[in-house]
This record gives sequence, structure tokens and C-alpha cells, in this order.
Amino acid sequence: MAQQLVKKDDDRDDEAEYSPFMGIEKGAVLQEARVFNDPQLDARRCSQVITKLLYLLNQGETFTKTEATEVFFAVTKLFQSKDMGLRRMVYLMIKEISPSADEVIIVTSSLMKDMNSKIDMYRANAIRVLCRITDGTLLAQIERYLKQAIVDKNPVVASAALVSGIHLLQTNPEIVKRWSNEVQEAVQSRAALVQFHALGLLHQIRQNDRLAVSKLVTSLTRGTVRSPLAQCLLIRYTSQVIRESGNNTQPGDRPFYDYLESCLRHKSEMVIFEAARAITELNGVTTRELTPAITVLQLFLSSSKPVLRFAAVRTLNKVAMTHPTSVTNCNIDMESLISDQNRSIATLAITTLLKTGNESSVDRLMKQITNFMSDIADEFKIVVVEAIRSLCQKFPLKYRSLMNFLSNILREEGGFEYKKAIVDSIVILIREIPDAKETGLLHLCEFIEDCEFTYLSTQILHFLGIEGPKTSDPSRYIRFVYNRVHLENATVRAGAVSTLAKFGAAVDELKPRVFVLLRRCLFDSDDEVRDRATLYLNTLGGDGSVVETDKAVKDFLFGTFDIPLVNLETSLKNYVPSEEAFDIDSVPKEVKSQPLAEKKAPGKKPTGLGAPPSGPPSTADSYQRVLSSIPEFANFGNLFKSSEPVELTEAETEYAVNVVKHIFDRHVVFQYNCTNTIPEQLLENVIVIVDNSEADEFSEVFSRPLKSLPYDSPGQIFVAFEKPEGVPTLGKFSNVLKFIVREVDPATGEADDDGVEDEYQLEDLDIVSADYTLKVGVSNFRNAWESIGPDYEREDEYGLGPRESLAEAVNTVINLLGLQPCEGTEVVPPNSRSHTCLLSGVFIGNIKVLVRLSFGLDGPKDVAMKLTVRSEDETVSDAIHEIVASG
Amino acid sequence: MILAVLFANAEGNILIKRFHGVPAEERLHWRSFLVKLGADNLKGVKNEELLVACHKSVYIVYTILGDVSIYVVGKDAYDELALSEVIFTITSAVKDVCGKPPTERRFLDKYGRICLCLDEIVWKGYLENTEKDRIKRLIRLKPPTEF
Repeated sequence: MAQQLVKKDDDRDDEAEYSPFMGIEKGAVLQEARVFNDPQLDARRCSQVITKLLYLLNQGETFTKTEATEVFFAVTKLFQSKDMGLRRMVYLMIKEISPSADEVIIVTSSLMKDMNSKIDMYRANAIRVLCRITDGTLLAQIERYLKQAIVDKNPVVASAALVSGIHLLQTNPEIVKRWSNEVQEAVQSRAALVQFHALGLLHQIRQNDRLAVSKLVTSLTRGTVRSPLAQCLLIRYTSQVIRESGNNTQPGDRPFYDYLESCLRHKSEMVIFEAARAITELNGVTTRELTPAITVLQLFLSSSKPVLRFAAVRTLNKVAMTHPTSVTNCNIDMESLISDQNRSIATLAITTLLKTGNESSVDRLMKQITNFMSDIADEFKIVVVEAIRSLCQKFPLKYRSLMNFLSNILREEGGFEYKKAIVDSIVILIREIPDAKETGLLHLCEFIEDCEFTYLSTQILHFLGIEGPKTSDPSRYIRFVYNRVHLENATVRAGAVSTLAKFGAAVDELKPRVFVLLRRCLFDSDDEVRDRATLYLNTLGGDGSVVETDKAVKDFLFGTFDIPLVNLETSLKNYVPSEEAFDIDSVPKEVKSQPLAEKKAPGKKPTGLGAPPSGPPSTADSYQRVLSSIPEFANFGNLFKSSEPVELTEAETEYAVNVVKHIFDRHVVFQYNCTNTIPEQLLENVIVIVDNSEADEFSEVFSRPLKSLPYDSPGQIFVAFEKPEGVPTLGKFSNVLKFIVREVDPATGEADDDGVEDEYQLEDLDIVSADYTLKVGVSNFRNAWESIGPDYEREDEYGLGPRESLAEAVNTVINLLGLQPCEGTEVVPPNSRSHTCLLSGVFIGNIKVLVRLSFGLDGPKDVAMKLTVRSEDETVSDAIHEIVASG
Repeated sequence: MILAVLFANAEGNILIKRFHGVPAEERLHWRSFLVKLGADNLKGVKNEELLVACHKSVYIVYTILGDVSIYVVGKDAYDELALSEVIFTITSAVKDVCGKPPTERRFLDKYGRICLCLDEIVWKGYLENTEKDRIKRLIRLKPPTEF
């Protein structure tokens, strides 16, 4: 017995020592590949060489262009062999090498031959290889065969063609869309996988045709679906149909709900989960509809398989965001998952419990979490911290234990992102829960005593400077701040100096002591620190006189900086040093909205840190420059706002015209950007005739025509109107483009001498309320709201009538007012019945305005809104109400 | 989309890798991330016991089979449950080719056939075949038995 054991071990050692690829070297394998050229092919040997080549490729070895070409050409010779195993390897190898477009031709005829072969498996593989290496022109040649293959009776051939179709749809959609009849037939196939692949492809082909998708779903939910995979697809498509048709149905008679509910009893777990998820994600799902899905998911929470536990807790976590009470029943099962070996499951369980727990369970939960935090990675910890922040906002009375928890974890080891999440949470809690302020600030003070992250130290110092002076005993924070001046790097020291100055400016009793400390900073080794200390001492009266600091000085030193930094940067770059000093008032305040492409950036790179997309060049400055170059506009004053271009012509018309509305205090200038898209025409004396009969408060004062508008060379026409000062005057303008057209010989580029007068009707143009408001955000809405005060507050309620959804109503009002949404309040959580949205901005005349909108659903679709406005001028508060009332 | 299929040995060296729709510059990052995930969690795990993780909207299902650890990464329709199906097909096919949960040596001995199996199972990010018996025939260019 003992001998046998020894023998076994020996065997194993031998095995482990020897690898078939030991010492493998690219050059040698390429030499070996010459065997592919032998007149008498040794199939076994050739297969071995291909295996080695595959191994090399998998190890990250790269072939030069010449090497790859040589291997590819040699491999194509192997088509001569009739050995089945070798042929299968050849197909794989060609796909792995991915020959270049000019080489593909070498192998096309062999593959075409295989695609028409009587041997089914040759056909299937040839289709896959051809579709991998083919381009559009070749595809048109083989399309006929592919269509036949889709309905081939051999399921492998059909699947090969269908999956190829899924890939080709990305590159050659117009060709693949022609196969829909064949694909439709394949959906009825008895072979499970063929049906799965066909269903996927058919849906992709028809995804923009709602009616077709709806028909497909209706017929399949009644018929037979042969594999769990296809069933999952069908559930997904069913959800889509419900989503698209669901707006006008009452809960209770939702189409296809019975189908989804029946899938909860399917024998495959994959299908059960898909159905449960589909139900939980239904728009406006009721508790009654949710219950069966939650019950099924709850059972899976105690499954022995981690994947099922994960899937269940992940789904319940999502449900908890919108329907926390429906998940409460699962809390006991969920609590047992806190100790799950799999940390992803444990984190999801904890964050779900934090969402569903009630006030009485907070302390118990925190105890459990404390043990759990020590052994999870930072990324999980951040999720937990964010969940705790939300919990604290939900139960403000529990701030003591939650704040304690946050301060404890702040002292433990952790990376920047984690610490930042904790600091952000403490800051938010301090802002939102007044009772938590003093303890929170002290926690932050302790943290900066031993903080390794400059960014966080400076953020906290800045925050201390704002909040510290407002506390009952501001002097207790000075020591923490001044310690930074001794112990930190220059960036933090400079931050500390500013914070000290803020305390001095805000608290008169502290002033003499702060001045002593600031004077010590005059000897700092860093320029910036010394400069700041000097500036503060001089402006705050550090010469010894202890007087109340002037409001203007406070505003200058510590006031909110309401100019977007991007705009300031551009203006500074454009500033040419001269006698005239840089004027900060000339910097536009308009926040440029993000380009759509940036917002929609695909999330397919989960870990990528790719360069951020570059924003558009700032157009505000270029407008300012263009307008100031026209003498007639010189006395119009400062430009308040320039709108986004509004198209006045359809796309692809003869003349493309858009207009930018420039708003001044007493004037409006329309800048018509015109492009002539006809090569055979030259336009001259181009003007826009503007009819303002529906805008009678405006009167035209100036028009600047365009002398000549050659093909594809854009030009601008300006028309200026006078309007009542500082008033948001509205109106509609109709526009006609008038010009003299001269024929141009495209060959020589010469224009005819004779021209013909012509005109071209443009779309109408409106001056709307939003043209008189600027989007200017505030960093802390609550503080801004308090500081602007209730003097000119105006509040009223409005019925907005039936709306598609709450989100749509919120969006409409935001767009109507043209103000900047703050703190992400423009996003309405799904299924909400009420929502508060905060807006800020500047009204024409440079008047700050803040708006608080409270929306509520009144009945099934009717939306009611309470609008509260605070501004620095009562007429502006009234004007905002006027805009909503007339909008 | 199945974003990646990876086989690694006990030391974390890659034996086979397949990426679909993952930019070349991110592949190395994924390799090290997965291998570390395995090193942290696969110790003491039974053959074919599935572990799961997620990173933002990407799911990872992984397991160990003999000396080889297998990782499958997916997103969208290929969530943890669909990936379980994929990895189950892969482990069944590998066991079938190797006769049992493989040692590294055995895995390398059957390297070519395992590559062929993988080629039948995942085709540029899509699941193509799920039954080991059919795959066994397909890699030898034999039509499926049910046909």
C-alpha cells in the first residue's frame, strides 16, 4: 500500500515537471510550420504545430506582419488534406490569425467550396470563418448561401449562420436585415439553440419596429420556447413591450403579467430570476404584483449556491431602492448573509438592510457592520459608507451612532477614495443635521491632524472656515487649523492661512489672536502662504485696529465665486497683456451644458481610465468678440446671455440657417449663421427680413446684411432689436432670407454676371422666458437659500394637469425656467409620487434667483406643483411666477 | 456580451485567454484583476463550485477545476446566471476532453482540443453551444447525434 502511494507521487512529479510546451520558442515553431508545405501532409504533426502556434498566441506572443502572412499562407495549404481533425484546426487557426484584407482572397475560394460542401460540418465552419474575415463586398456574394444556411435542417449550420448574422448586423446591417423572413422561420425551429440564436437576431433586426416586437412576443408567449436561454430573451423582450405600452393601462390588468408570473414557476433558475427581475422593474409596480417575485427571491437567499444568493440579493437590493417595505420580510434571511464568505454578497446584503431597516434596528445593524468592515476591500467599504449616509439622512435622530461609526472608520487604514467618501458623508450630515455640526467638525479636525491626503486636508480646512465661525465656540477649532501651518506641505499651509483669516473676519473677538497667528505666517518659506497672509492682514485691518470687517471686503475675500472656472480660464488665456487691466466682469457666467456625447458615454469600459472626452471650445467668448467688433452694438452694454443655436431650416436643405439669440439689458441681437450648400450658386446681398408683428414690444434698430455667401463658406447676418429694459419681454418673429442668386460654373468657379432676386422662407423664432435666465449653480443650495433670506420670497401652487410622468413634468418646468438644477435634484427616482427640485441662476439685470419646486402626483396622472422663489429683487420673484403661470 | 474567458494555472499564469469587445489596453488590467480575485478566493474551494463577483455593471463567475482556474466575465444579458451556464458548459467540456478534473500537465496535453471546445462554446462574445456531447462531436467535425 505504502509502495503504491509512493509510486503515485512519483508519477505526479514527473507529470508536473514536464510540460509539452516547455522551452517553446517562436522562431523554432515557425520553422516547424514549414511542415505545412510538405507534399505529403502529416496531419497529426500539422495539428501539433497548430496547437503550438495557438499556445504562443495565447501567451501573448505577437507575430510580425511577415511572420503572420507566412503562417497564414502555409495554413491555407492544409485545405488539401482530407483529415477532419486537421481541417477543424485549420478553421480555428485562420480565425486566430485574422488575415489582412489583401490576404483574405487566398483562402476565399477554399472556404466558398467548403460552404457548398455536402459535409454539413464543413459548411458550418466555413460560414463562421468567412463571416469573421469577410468584408461587405464578399458578403454580398455569399448572402444567398447564408440565407439558405439559416433554414438548414442541420442545427449546427443554422446556428453558425444565425450567430454570424448577429455579428454582421453591426457592420452590414442593410444586408442582414434582408434575412428577416428566414430568421423568422428559424425562430420556429425545433432545435433549442437555433431558436435561441434566431430569436436574438430577429429582435435585433426589428428592435425599432414596436409593432413587430409586440407581435413576436405575443406569438411566442403563447407558443413553445425550447430552451431556458431563449425563454430569458423572451422575458426581456416582453418587459420591453410592457414598458412601451404600459402608460395607458391600469395596474391590475397589465398585459403579459400573467406570463411573467407563470415564469416564476419555471424549472430553470435562470428563467425564474429573469422573470422576477422583470416584475420588480415594471413601471409603477404594485405591492400585489411584487409579492410573488419577492417570495421567490427570498427562497434563493438561503440557497447553497453563491451565484443564486448573489443574484437574489442583487435583485432585492435594487427593489429596496424603490419599494423598501416590500423587502422588509426578507430582512432575517438577509442578516444571515452579512457573514457570507463571498464579500460581494455580504456587501449587497448590508446595503439592502440599510435601506430597508427601521429606526430601532439601526444600532444592532451598526454593530454587525463594524465587525464586517475590517475584512472587506475599499471598494465595498465605499458602498457601505454611502448607504450609511443615506440612512442617516433618513433617520436624523440616529446621527450620534452613525456619526460615531463614520469617525471610527475614518481613523482606520484606507485609500483616498474611501477616505473621501467618509469625509463627504460627514460634511453632508453636518450640513443637513444641525445637531450633528459640532461633533462632526471635531471629527474632521481630528482627522486632519493625521491626514496623508493634501486634497482632503484642504477641503476640510475650507469647510471649517465656513462652518467653524458659526458654532458656539469658534476658538476651539483654531488650534487644529494653526497646527497645519507648522506641520504640513505648502498647499495645506496656504489653505490653513485662508481658514484662519475667515475666522478672523467672521468673529471679531478672535481677530487680535488670529492676526498674531497670521503675522507668523509672513515668514513662511512658500510664496503663496506669505502672499495670502499679507493680503488678509492688509484687507482685514491687521495693522492693529480691531474693527468690524467691511462687507465688501468679506465678499471680495470669501464671497462665492460665481463664475465658472472654465470660462475664467478661457478669458484669461484670451487676455492680451496691455494697459487695460483684466476685467473679471467680462467673464461670461453661463454654464455650458455637457455635450450629449459625453453624457451618453458608454459604460462598456468598466475599469478603463480612458482620457475624458474633450469639451466643446467655449463659444461665449467668441460671441463676445464678434459682437464687440461691430460698432453699432458697442453701446448695448454687457452681453447677458447667448442662446444655443436654433435651427431655422430642415437638415439637408439648400441653405442651412440657424440663429443665436444674444440678450442684452435693453437689446436683443439675432445672429443668423447661414451656409450655402449648392456648389452652382453664389448668393449676394443676403439679408433676413424679420417680421415682429407678434412681438410688438420689440423694435428693429439695426440690420447688417451679408455681402456675399459662396458655396460651403458660412457667413453671419445680424439683426438687432430694442426692448424694454430689464424686463423679460417675449415674442414671436418670422424670418425670410432674401438674396440675389448668381449661377456659378463649378468647373471654373466663375459666377454669371447677371443675378436673380430670390427669397427663402425660414422657420419662426421665439424669445422665451428662459432666454432671460442664466444657469449658474450654487455649491450648497441650503446655505444659498438661507443667505438670500425670505424678504422677497414668493410662493404659489399650480396644477400642471395630466402629464406622462413626474419626471417629464419636472423636466418641462426646468426647461421653461432655464435655471441650473442643483444637487442632482433634476433626477426623479422611478415610481416616485412626489419630488423636490432645486434650481438656481441669475435673472437678467444680474439678480440672483433660487427656486424650490415641490411636485406631487394628484390622482393617477395629474401633477400639482408648489413653487417657492427667493431672489434679491421682488419683481424677479414675481417674474418667475409669471413665467410659470403663463408657460 | 461575454467579455472574457480566461484559464490560469495554480501560479496565476495564463493558459488560454479570449477577450471580446475589451480594448487591448485594458486586457492586462483584467488579467491581473482576475488572477488576484482567484488567488484571494479560490483557496480551498471544491472543484466546479462557482464563485461570483461584480464590478459596476460587469459580472464575473469563476471556479477551479483540478489545477486550472477558469474565469468568465460578462455584461448586459450575460449576467451571473447566464455566465454560470457558460462556465458550466466550459467545465463539462474540459472534463470530457481530459477525462477528469485536469492537472496542469493534462490540460496542456489536451491544449488543442480545449481550444477547439472553447471555439464551439463562445463565438466572439456569444454563447453558441451548451451541450458537452455535441461539442465533443463538433470538434471532430461530426454532426450532432440528435440530427
